[in-house]
Amino acid sequence: MTRIPVLRSRSPVAGLRRRSLRPPGVFAQSVATTAPAGAMASTPLLVIAAAGNGALWSFAIAAVLVGLVAACITVFARRMAAAGGLYSFTAQGLGPGGAYACAVAMVVGYGMLVAVTFAGASWYGGALVARLAGGSDALAAGAGVALVVVLAVTVAVCAVRGVRLAGRVMLVIEAVSIGLILVVLVALALTTAPGTPAPVGAGPGPGGLDLGGIAVGVLPALAAFIGFDSAASLGVEARRPFASIPRAITATAAVAAVLYLVATLVQLATPGGAGRATSPTSGVPATVGDLSWASVLMDIGIVASFGACALAAVNTLVRVLFSLAREGVAPAALGRTHRRHLTPAVAVWVTVPVPAAVVVVGTAAGVAPATVFGGLVAVATLGFLAAYLLVCLAAPRFLARIGELTGGVVVVSVLASAALVATVVVVVVHASTGLLITLAGLLVVGVGGWFVLRRRRGPALQGMGVYDETTTADVLAAGPR
Amino acid sequence: MTSPISGRQPQAVRSALLILEEVAAAGVGVTAKEISAALRIPPATTYRLLNLLVAEEYLVRLPDLGGFALGRRIANLAPAALSAPTAARDVMRRLRERVRWGAHLVAYDRHRFLFVDPDPDHPPTDADELARHPHANGLGRLLLAEHDELPDGPLARLTPRTVVDRDELKSALVDVARTGLARQCGEFHAALGCLAVAVRAPGDGRLVAGLALTGPADRVAAPNTELIELLREHAAELAPLLA
Repeated sequence: MTRIPVLRSRSPVAGLRRRSLRPPGVFAQSVATTAPAGAMASTPLLVIAAAGNGALWSFAIAAVLVGLVAACITVFARRMAAAGGLYSFTAQGLGPGGAYACAVAMVVGYGMLVAVTFAGASWYGGALVARLAGGSDALAAGAGVALVVVLAVTVAVCAVRGVRLAGRVMLVIEAVSIGLILVVLVALALTTAPGTPAPVGAGPGPGGLDLGGIAVGVLPALAAFIGFDSAASLGVEARRPFASIPRAITATAAVAAVLYLVATLVQLATPGGAGRATSPTSGVPATVGDLSWASVLMDIGIVASFGACALAAVNTLVRVLFSLAREGVAPAALGRTHRRHLTPAVAVWVTVPVPAAVVVVGTAAGVAPATVFGGLVAVATLGFLAAYLLVCLAAPRFLARIGELTGGVVVVSVLASAALVATVVVVVVHASTGLLITLAGLLVVGVGGWFVLRRRRGPALQGMGVYDETTTADVLAAGPR
Repeated sequence: MTSPISGRQPQAVRSALLILEEVAAAGVGVTAKEISAALRIPPATTYRLLNLLVAEEYLVRLPDLGGFALGRRIANLAPAALSAPTAARDVMRRLRERVRWGAHLVAYDRHRFLFVDPDPDHPPTDADELARHPHANGLGRLLLAEHDELPDGPLARLTPRTVVDRDELKSALVDVARTGLARQCGEFHAALGCLAVAVRAPGDGRLVAGLALTGPADRVAAPNTELIELLREHAAELAPLLA
């Protein structure tokens, strides 16, 4: 009945500060990566533009889909603790091929997300500075670039200093910016709402309910949730990871869903209200006379939220690279940890400059901030959707392998996978030429990388999916007492 | 997020305890299916309870992720009455012959202290009392420095000299980690102080025990270079005997 277990005395991911991060820090990681503050200010407008009064339905559908994905992720998060997050999970169900695909998707997703946050902070922050100083587009661009450099350095230092510090910083920033934006939204509702009864998906509002529009609105709604899984990469560092990480992931998805639904309700009730308040999305050349307290507060909240998101996304990205390096798939240097702070410091210094440079070069080349931002968001979202799809496919196979499969998980996995495939297909069909070229390029690089790695580092690929295994010290009476 | 415990799920509690017993009886590597079959608990329920027990660290999953074993936390339910091996007691006896202060050997089990060889002539403070205020005693500071963390709640002021400022304690812990010596003068009992050094496992350098000398606070404050050297020598001798 019993097998003789092979226990190591040292975890393969040793070097990180093991089992020390408390639940609030884990929660902060997921919340900050999702950046609900920034998303609740901007995304409802996009969704309303697509779905009209059906925007609430788009968000509801996206929330249900995210719930299904979260259920698949927690199947793993309750059973294993890894630094690589989703790709380490996928390895347990789909083997090296799935794990490699998921790792590429995560690196693209999180890497692009870092660039998105830099671009977003530069766009909103630059515009805000230009408005406050009454300056021109050139001033906005200059301030934006300066902001990116400052943000990149700050993020890198915080990420090296450790996830505990990072967690505290992120939680405060996110709470303050959500608060700011809620205050602004509620104030807008109170000042604008009284004449117009809210047509909450009920009754024939202007345009009524448009099923096609609702479907199109699901994608931007889904994009607002990406990153809710990022706590999974703190598996090694979290205290009681099998409890705190699943909880952080589900709670983040739930909190974000509620915030988005509330924000959408408010913005449906006050047509044009939020559009007036956020400067960059309105596209109107603002003068100092237009400056209202609400828009300034909201922009500060959004920039802060982007900052916290940058830090959180870097945290996850470097842990994915760290884990890949420990497996031998990525260069070993990326697996080195800081002697005192016990963080993947080398990976931080190597990765952070890349997205910062992308944004700085884009701005310097005169590309409109909205174009940079939109393009990066699209690629990042596709990366995340691909990673989610792979982890959903992997969940039932993993459970079958360890003999714990239940019918519920199969149903959840099938529903989630089908919905994700449908979403990805819709995105690709409607994609612009630029996005298609980018995707094709990434696909070629990814597949090419696979063949190169298989030739050069075959054994490392086979060994993908290292996680924080139970060691002799964790088992009662197995090790020295 | 957690609702107050209503105690209305006796069957779940009973099943969880049965599962713990089953893992203990079946041995390392038993799978969820085997547990479910042996106890006739529906599979889905078994999996949920197993995940709960793993989350709370009463059970662990083995590296194949399918097998289970009892976790270290189980040890808290039935604390082992630890006694030092005869060889270790000999070392302690020799140490006591050379110093006039109380010499105590304390083993660490996670965050608990177990006196494995307390000085019979100088009865030590209660182990739980020491573990409750780790910031104010040498043995506790060794443990805090090892895990690089501060206690959760506010730091209790046990005597006028107790360090209760978190930053001050933090820098004291950095010193402990650097020198391997924790010194405390009149912070736990106004009149007493102690010198404590770590006993580390020879292989991985894990902190397994602390060796402490307790004496009058003003005397502990002196440099005591020779005494500390003596303490370190004996700790090194104890290491292979305890780990």
